Amino acid sequence: MIACILVPGFELQAALRSRPRLGLRPAALAPEAGTEPLLGPVTAAAEAAGVRPGMRLGEALALCPSIALVERDPSGVEEEWEGILGRLEDSGFAIEPVEPGCLYFDTRGVERLYGGVKPALTRALASVGVSWNASAGAADRRFAALAAAAIARPGQAVVVDDGRSKEFLAPLPLSLLPLEQPRREELGHLGVKKIGQLAGLPGSAVAERLGPDGRRAWSLARNDDTANAGFNDTQVTPRPPATDLAERLEFPEAVANELTLRRALTALLDRILARPERGGREIRKVALSARLVGGGSWRRTATLREPSAERGVLRAALGPKLAELPAPVLSLGVELLTLSESEGRQLALVRPGGNAICRLEGDELESRLRDGLRQVRARAGAGAVATVVEVAPWSRIPEQRALLVPRD
Amino acid sequence: MLARLNEPQPALVEERFDGSPDRVNRQPVAAIREEWRVLDRWWTEEPISRRYFEVVLESGQNVVVFRDQEQGGWFSQRGA
Repeated sequence: MIACILVPGFELQAALRSRPRLGLRPAALAPEAGTEPLLGPVTAAAEAAGVRPGMRLGEALALCPSIALVERDPSGVEEEWEGILGRLEDSGFAIEPVEPGCLYFDTRGVERLYGGVKPALTRALASVGVSWNASAGAADRRFAALAAAAIARPGQAVVVDDGRSKEFLAPLPLSLLPLEQPRREELGHLGVKKIGQLAGLPGSAVAERLGPDGRRAWSLARNDDTANAGFNDTQVTPRPPATDLAERLEFPEAVANELTLRRALTALLDRILARPERGGREIRKVALSARLVGGGSWRRTATLREPSAERGVLRAALGPKLAELPAPVLSLGVELLTLSESEGRQLALVRPGGNAICRLEGDELESRLRDGLRQVRARAGAGAVATVVEVAPWSRIPEQRALLVPRD
Repeated sequence: MLARLNEPQPALVEERFDGSPDRVNRQPVAAIREEWRVLDRWWTEEPISRRYFEVVLESGQNVVVFRDQEQGGWFSQRGA
């Protein structure tokens, strides 16, 4: 079975760890700088005052003038999430994190260890920690597991028996489906308010009216994957073992001078490159983070074109990012996020002439392509590599002929 | 997340009196190679009515642009 663990409003909960009193007051995660002024997750007190996540800031302030805006803390979120993932992995769960606050794992590997699905979920919730108000769900497919976790109360686990997912999903509201609000409202006007009602409609009519997103929502509602081109809803891809290589430097007082920060970065790189856990492997992706004066944090990542373990290369990749710091910093940290798989690199004895790529064949070509794909994924995220899937090649409307389907 | 291939992109187009493009993204149009219309989904609440032009810009670049007759506005599109 596929299990899902959900931590509602994780970003807000993580940001409130250092200010627990705010959790009892109307508070919301502040909008991201440079984006639309829309609120993030909100506390229960704010919700009671009528404030909803995704609401415009002005509207929220009009409804609840005393609402406190909690500054985003990306570094803290990353740290807390990594802590949860680490605890789950230590308990034997091979997890696939989707985003902070949501992860999946396959229960097959742990059912015998913990004596069944439900005890395994209870153990997983205990590993996450009671204070996070996490909930768990398990079903034969990812979406059904997500829905089960979404309706479970904090600390509760809901298990949907094999083959009963469709019946389980039928009475649930459409808000659980990944559909845009206007589409959901459109369905509501047509009298379709439950997942089961959507599942009962003809697929072609749904696709015609709501487009590809609607078709995907329809197939999720039916609990089948006939229309999920490229997606496998019954599989979990556990993440590779985390590197857990990080170094941090605390300053006695807030520092804004770029020269000092660059020196600190050099010292951090020296320390992290000397760590024996690296085992001679080169670095593919690295993160630079800082704790800012007055609360909040800052984090940037860099993906190297060629994996490297040279201090100069890493400094050249991270150094310019220091100029983007929005405020003086109290501490600076470096994390090695992705390491190369092998220690050394086989160099060519004789450099191939002409167009080297054209001369590559078979395994060599495949290995280079795979390396390139890994680099793209490390740089732009898991969904960056996609396959073109023709859906209506005969259509006279060019954008309806093919879809870009993310490839794992 | 699924994405569509060849999604229309908003374009800055100055029109001639007959509605054909004169400048595309501030570049003068040297020639109009082809013109056609697409009318589709007229039976739905989101009908499609587009007037397409395949043009050659003075820089030598080939571009396909269309005017959305339903919503208004010009778009460029690949794969048309």
